Amino acid sequence: MNRTVKVMAEALSIAGINKVFERAGKPSVEALRDINLSIREGEFVSIVGASGSGKSTLLRIIDGLLPASSGVVKVSGHTVTRPGADRAMVFQQDALLPWKPVIDNVAYGLTIAGTPKRDAHATAQRFIDMAGLKGFEQHYPHQLSGGMRQRVNVARALAVNPKILLLDEPFAALDAQTREIMQTELLNIWQKSGTTVLLITHQIDEAVFLSDRVIVFSARPGSVREEIPIPLPRPRALEVKRHEAFGALVDRIWHLIEHEVRSAVADNRA
Amino acid sequence: MTAAAPFWRSVYDFLEGRSRAAGILRMLISLAFVLAVWQVLATYVVTNKLLLVPPAEVFRALAKESGNGALWTNALATVSAVAASFPVAVLIGVAIGLALASSRLLALTAGPMLTALNSVPLVALAPLFIAWLGLGFASKFVLVTIFTIFPVLVTTETGLKATDKILIEAARSFNASRWQVFTTVTLPFAVPFIVSGIRVAWARALVAIIIAEFFGSFAGFGFAILAAGQSFDTATLLAYVIMLGALGLMGSIFFEWLERRLAPWRQE
Repeated sequence: MNRTVKVMAEALSIAGINKVFERAGKPSVEALRDINLSIREGEFVSIVGASGSGKSTLLRIIDGLLPASSGVVKVSGHTVTRPGADRAMVFQQDALLPWKPVIDNVAYGLTIAGTPKRDAHATAQRFIDMAGLKGFEQHYPHQLSGGMRQRVNVARALAVNPKILLLDEPFAALDAQTREIMQTELLNIWQKSGTTVLLITHQIDEAVFLSDRVIVFSARPGSVREEIPIPLPRPRALEVKRHEAFGALVDRIWHLIEHEVRSAVADNRA
Repeated sequence: MTAAAPFWRSVYDFLEGRSRAAGILRMLISLAFVLAVWQVLATYVVTNKLLLVPPAEVFRALAKESGNGALWTNALATVSAVAASFPVAVLIGVAIGLALASSRLLALTAGPMLTALNSVPLVALAPLFIAWLGLGFASKFVLVTIFTIFPVLVTTETGLKATDKILIEAARSFNASRWQVFTTVTLPFAVPFIVSGIRVAWARALVAIIIAEFFGSFAGFGFAILAAGQSFDTATLLAYVIMLGALGLMGSIFFEWLERRLAPWRQE
């Protein structure tokens, strides 16, 4: 037996996170209950769950946009109390500044941090090239397709050189074909940059295709139901989605949340 | 007929198009239409020259006023009064709008009072202001300012509050301070709203200046209109109305252009 212990640095650790939303004059809502999670450096982890399972709330707590009611979030050992340069979030496509061209949007996080414009643009240019947006530096978001806008969002997040990339249903607004292309591009970028990624999605096949590990959330309050390792070999191409093993993993996750998805749908109808 | 149809089709398509030539042609057509209706009205319907005169006479009056210098004296009085008061009014409007958007308590406390003030017909107060401030620049300045503040104030507040929450969240996610969120997100988002408020305010400023000049002044378009009316000089009266219309139109075109310039993404 090999006696060396493989030391995997922990990029993100979440311990005992609870979140209760207090609303004046109404009953408070328990959004998250006792979330514990650990993500290694360079790992790609997804969280799936029915809508209303608090996935986005957890992501905002990790990013520092929302305070937790109790519990601790640590990034590389440092406790999170507010947004910081070690984390960057990719929102849905409409989170770009419509009055700024691509280059300024990608440089946005850097200029906020006080980087001189020239340096910020040089860094932004590198990530624009990486995201396949060369030639579109001076275009405005409304002149780009949905898929290209999302590339700008990813480039903007990566440009600040975060330890962890937080993705909040980044491809939800895209059509099915564009989504698949964006998934493979995200994998490429992830492999090139070596960043740790935490993705929130409601697309089970997306989570399985991209991740090393899928965390299945149960709803109301959100809590970790199961962690499913995804042993599919890398690098992965779209063909993986047609493998038997892929289908089996998707089915397994679907069965875990099916009941909650159905009741969420019923709630929306009511 | 069948041969002519494609021709008219292409004329129609051209006029509907976005080219500058088509725009100018459309304007000329509508101008010709108004002049024709006016001419017909003056020739066949309202033949009393005290009530309405045909376009040609109005343009003769315009040339006469321009020739003897009265037009320029009056234009100077009106334009300088508006030019001095309008920017100040816009600044005050934006400042109050900013204050209301940044303080919920202030908005809740002052909001209803401002709404009430805005619905008072300010024209009714004009004689009072002139009694307080006398004939001349001070009363013009105050009237224009009061008329103009509200549309700017309202659109400023609306624009600042209308900012997409996700843009603010994205900025905060990059650790932007409150001031950075304001300067890089909320304010740029509000700018086109503010400009559209200024465009509305411009039309109101012209109304205000005319009222101020009606009630008390010795020069200006309002003064000239009143004087021409009292001496039954309908041609001169209409000549000055046309000048006022031109002033309004110029402002409107300028601010529309500015709005498009500042917010190209809102056109799509």
